[in-house]
Amino acid sequence: MRPENYEAQRQPPSNEYELNFGPNHPGIEGNYALKVKLHGDVVLEAKADGGYLHRGFEKLMEQRLWIQNIALVPRICVPDPSPMELCYSMAVEQLCGLKVPKRARWIRVMQLELSRIAAHLFTFGGHAATTGMYSTMYWGVADRDLLLDLFEEFTGGRVYSIYNIPGGVRRELPDGFLQRVTETLDYIESRLADYDNLFFKNQVFVKRAKGVGVMSREQALAWGVTGPNLRATGLAFDVRRDDPYLVYDQLDFDIPTEENGDAWARTLVRRHELMQSIRILRQVVEALPDIHGPIRAPIPNPLAWNVPAGETYTRVESSKGELCYYVVSDGGPKPYRVHVRGPSSMHAVQVLEKLSVGSRIEDIAQTMFSLDACPPEVDR
Amino acid sequence: MSQEIAHWLDNLLEEIEGIEIRRKSSRRVRVDVPADALPALLELLQGRAGYIHLSAISCVDWIEDEEFELVYHVWSYESHSLVSAHIRIAREPGVYLSVYDLYQPAAFFERDIHEMYGIHFEGSPNMDKFILTEWDGPPPMRKEFDSEAYINEHLSWQAYNPPWLQALIAEGGGVVIPPEEQRFSRKKD
Repeated sequence: MRPENYEAQRQPPSNEYELNFGPNHPGIEGNYALKVKLHGDVVLEAKADGGYLHRGFEKLMEQRLWIQNIALVPRICVPDPSPMELCYSMAVEQLCGLKVPKRARWIRVMQLELSRIAAHLFTFGGHAATTGMYSTMYWGVADRDLLLDLFEEFTGGRVYSIYNIPGGVRRELPDGFLQRVTETLDYIESRLADYDNLFFKNQVFVKRAKGVGVMSREQALAWGVTGPNLRATGLAFDVRRDDPYLVYDQLDFDIPTEENGDAWARTLVRRHELMQSIRILRQVVEALPDIHGPIRAPIPNPLAWNVPAGETYTRVESSKGELCYYVVSDGGPKPYRVHVRGPSSMHAVQVLEKLSVGSRIEDIAQTMFSLDACPPEVDR
Repeated sequence: MSQEIAHWLDNLLEEIEGIEIRRKSSRRVRVDVPADALPALLELLQGRAGYIHLSAISCVDWIEDEEFELVYHVWSYESHSLVSAHIRIAREPGVYLSVYDLYQPAAFFERDIHEMYGIHFEGSPNMDKFILTEWDGPPPMRKEFDSEAYINEHLSWQAYNPPWLQALIAEGGGVVIPPEEQRFSRKKD
């Protein structure tokens, strides 16, 4: 948004005025903006304004080899990059008919759930900061760092692990790694009570979040809401269970739901999901030592790899909701088309616009963070 | 998706003329329909088969066929299956109907496709620019748009040769391949 492209708006003779909320604002997640029309401090109209993080991934992917795109995709969603890798890899596997070895599938689940915990902790941190509770923010970011340490150890990358490739995963787990996962999980679990006291049960937060950004289940379904935001309206739907991929159908976990559909309910669903992710990871840690075999299926020379022509639509449950890739191959060395459907393309645009109307300006941050909107997914 | 539901769905969809149904896996169905039959198909899927969630609308530019392919991915929370409805529309003039009255999420996808491919959706609530507000070139996701050629034409590469890099190169390290060869390595064939 260059200043020269703006014209001063003639304000009507009333108490209504327009305000740019973002793109640099502590109450906005990432680089994103809302243009809000206000009467006093009540929002009359909100328009999402994206594009600040547009890097043209979909176009770039059409110009790169199939294998090169693995380094691109995690950058589409910074806080939760692992589902991106997996979704793209699954698409290529389906196009090639590659069968992923059992051990790789279990390791992938471990990567995804570690990433989910890291993403949720990060969101709690950001969300707490919008209510002025900076201690929770420091805790969330510091505890997420422990998970990033694990990522660094087993993938080589702290944030963008670039660990999945079509056919499996890149490398075997380091010695004693599962023990360190267990230790980290024990630590995170021991911290949850502290988080509850400091944040989730804290009246400073509860009173700010309760009744803010309420949507009913019918609204959520009509607006294309998915993931924890949908589960906060009482519908127990999770891609991991209802459209299973990897080995999620062999794992035992619950799908936490809440009924109220407000900012508090959405946050609580994530809080409970943290526990479910820990539960899944414990099962993976227990099962992995007994699963032997290769960690990836043999693939052709990746620099001269013509993926058979076809199209496929893959879905995974990211920490923010339903993440999908539509991948088309024309039989060439590069994808013909890759369409990324991030869950935030609904949450950060239409849903945020609708939920903001009628709320007060200080509640926009609550709504946005409780929706866990991720602007880079929208802009791609 | 159980066999029973699959049969029921097949029977239901046979009501539409020119339809081709392919079952790709237990939870994925591909349906090809003529473009004018799509609204009827989606209405049927949404109203009678429970496909109430529009997961995405994808657009593919088949430039050699002079056609755009639009793919509507709809999901049923009841039968836990995904139907992808494929249609083809002519590349020129690139106009199609909005399905916003059936699926509200369509507003975002149609706006996005309008911006990236230049397809106009009649009846869509908002066709304003969203991501490319500063862009006045052609729709960039069209296949004929070569982003690299556009950059070479409109922007100039900056020579980056600071003293520390010169010193590094003088010692025999640093960037050995000239920058133009690095950037255009894929053009060598």
